[in-house]
Amino acid sequence: MAVTETPPETVAAASEPALAAPRAEPRGLAAVLGSGDHKVIGRLFIITSLAFGLPMIVLGGLFAVEGTQPATLDVFSRDTVFQFFTLFRVGGVFLLALPLVIGVAMVVVPLQVGARAIAFPRAAAASYWGWLMGSALLVASYLMNGGPGGGRASGVNLWIAALGLITVALLVAAVSLATTVLALRTTGLTLDRTPLFAWSVAVAAILWILTLPVLVGLLVVMYVDHRHGGSSFGSNAGLYGQLAWVLRNPQIYTVAVPVLGFAGDVLATTARTRIAPRFAAQGAIGAFGILGFGAFLAGATGEIYKEWLVIALALVAVLPVLAILGLAGDLFRRGSFRLTAGALYATSALLVLLLGTLSGAVASIPAWSPAGSIADIGVGHAAVLAAVIASLGGVHWWATKIGLQPANEALGRLAPLVLLLGSAAIVIPDVVSGIFGDGPELAPDWTGGIEGLNVVVVVGTVLVLLGILAAAASLLPLLKAGTDVPADPWEGQTLEWLAPSPPPLANFEGDLAVVTSAEPLVDLSEEN
Amino acid sequence: MADAALALPPAPQPARPRVLLVGTALVAAGAFMAIVGLVGVYISARTNALATGGTWLPAGSSIPLTPGNMAFATMLLSGVSMWWAVDAVGKNDRQMAYLALALTIFFGIAVINATSFLYSQMDLAVSSTPGVLIFAVTGAHLAMIILGLVYAAVMTFRTLGGEYHGRDREGLTAAALFWYVTIAAHAVIWLAIYVTK
Repeated sequence: MAVTETPPETVAAASEPALAAPRAEPRGLAAVLGSGDHKVIGRLFIITSLAFGLPMIVLGGLFAVEGTQPATLDVFSRDTVFQFFTLFRVGGVFLLALPLVIGVAMVVVPLQVGARAIAFPRAAAASYWGWLMGSALLVASYLMNGGPGGGRASGVNLWIAALGLITVALLVAAVSLATTVLALRTTGLTLDRTPLFAWSVAVAAILWILTLPVLVGLLVVMYVDHRHGGSSFGSNAGLYGQLAWVLRNPQIYTVAVPVLGFAGDVLATTARTRIAPRFAAQGAIGAFGILGFGAFLAGATGEIYKEWLVIALALVAVLPVLAILGLAGDLFRRGSFRLTAGALYATSALLVLLLGTLSGAVASIPAWSPAGSIADIGVGHAAVLAAVIASLGGVHWWATKIGLQPANEALGRLAPLVLLLGSAAIVIPDVVSGIFGDGPELAPDWTGGIEGLNVVVVVGTVLVLLGILAAAASLLPLLKAGTDVPADPWEGQTLEWLAPSPPPLANFEGDLAVVTSAEPLVDLSEEN
Repeated sequence: MADAALALPPAPQPARPRVLLVGTALVAAGAFMAIVGLVGVYISARTNALATGGTWLPAGSSIPLTPGNMAFATMLLSGVSMWWAVDAVGKNDRQMAYLALALTIFFGIAVINATSFLYSQMDLAVSSTPGVLIFAVTGAHLAMIILGLVYAAVMTFRTLGGEYHGRDREGLTAAALFWYVTIAAHAVIWLAIYVTK
């Protein structure tokens, strides 16, 4: 029995309004500024989020440097240290991790589901420009002495409005991505056959849509309050505490949901075998998303994080990550494994996420770590770093779809290993300090932590920066036009590898065959 | 094997991708969560204020129930008229569809009017904690109503232009879905703020 068949002509006609290919490809600046092409928008997200994100990592390193000798070293002045601290924490999620994940997803997800374009392409483009404007305004608000703890009221107002704009823009991107997976899959690609990365992006996007609007609501309240005297949230510094729930577990896990999907897809392809318990993999990813639902903690601080429900969520969140790791082990056992950079990125990201969820479970237990300790920062860092590693891995793995040529494989193998070491050196000291010391989560106060461990964090930050630089160097070939770039350099299983490299404006040449399994390209090769 | 595949009957015609409906459902879910989150903050602040032995609303301020009830009743009526519009387009009864959509938009404007009247009756300063929260919650909902009205108006014009008719009424169904969620959000606000205060 053939596993693929030519679709009836009615398929193209029936889905014409949503899937119609644009006629002319724009060129020059117009191709960037006015583009609704998901690949262009995704690339813009990737490049700009890395440009915003690197200074955030440097900031983290500088905090660790000051933390090694807080009594004598004054890297930051007393007046500005809290503002830099909030920029580092908020920027790490909203200027780096989330937009980077969204950027990779925006390029890859429509290709994976066989769509000719992303859903609501103009909205997707608006999401990027909105996010960029919001990010620039957020940084500007700090420059004018705004942000939480800032001394200038207009700067604080600008910070709230800018973060609101960033969140709304990212939500628009999430709607585009989730709708693409839910409504624009090609014929035969049922939801249970959806590639794991696209599935994980849909799960994450839906979770963002259900939780981040609560942050938007909170920002509306903060803005109205701050404009009229600030009676509800106390000082400017109190603003940060109100939104800390977004930056810690369980909510921070939603940023890292695509890590599981990326790992599942890449490891299956690398092992040259199908994922056997597919429903289990999809279930684990869905469960991890649900366990990251943290909107019920909006505005909460203190002891509520030691309530039984939050503890239970933190303890159970380890299981889906273990399930995907188990799946990876099964793939290695059954398949013929290749040592690719993608596999190393996937494994590193999974291990960092496992470290984060394990730290979250340990830090949730009241007897081991008090509410609002520095251990919670470590958990947040692990989720963010896992998302960054997986995203960089995604750019490497799908290099021929995102850029113009395959990435440098040797440097690509080095980067995830350095990033894994660096991430562990950043996360573990914070968790240990939270358990054995009493450093706080909501302020840059090093007196309660274990100062000696900050040396390890400095080393970890340097390693993460080196890892990102190695990854960036490995991705340089993506910028140069190549000849005979292979459509499928990895013997891929899913539809994106059917698209030419780089993909044209309408993604695929000709009509796609009706999909009859979760691995249509494996079907095709078996058929031939 | 390949011959067997060629001999298969053609695949059934797939359903048209309901992109607009799915996207609207996601946006509506997000908007509903924003309102629910705001109401949660309101309830939490009120509970904390009452737990410390204080009063919630400042002296001299009150939330009269009648305008709130009128606004909610009008909102419910608009749900019926919106359902009527979708049904009329489904039956290709364009005249009834125009009438129902116009009525829905009229009801929406009436809700905005009732809420602004309620604001004038409350005598509540924005600078107080209840003032911040009540204006933020109801203001966000007013924004949702305006968004729903614009959406419904656009879909009305598209229906007038003949884009939606008979079984193909995705745009109008999407606008209706957003409107129903707006009504559900109003129900939450009505109960938490206007009734419970």
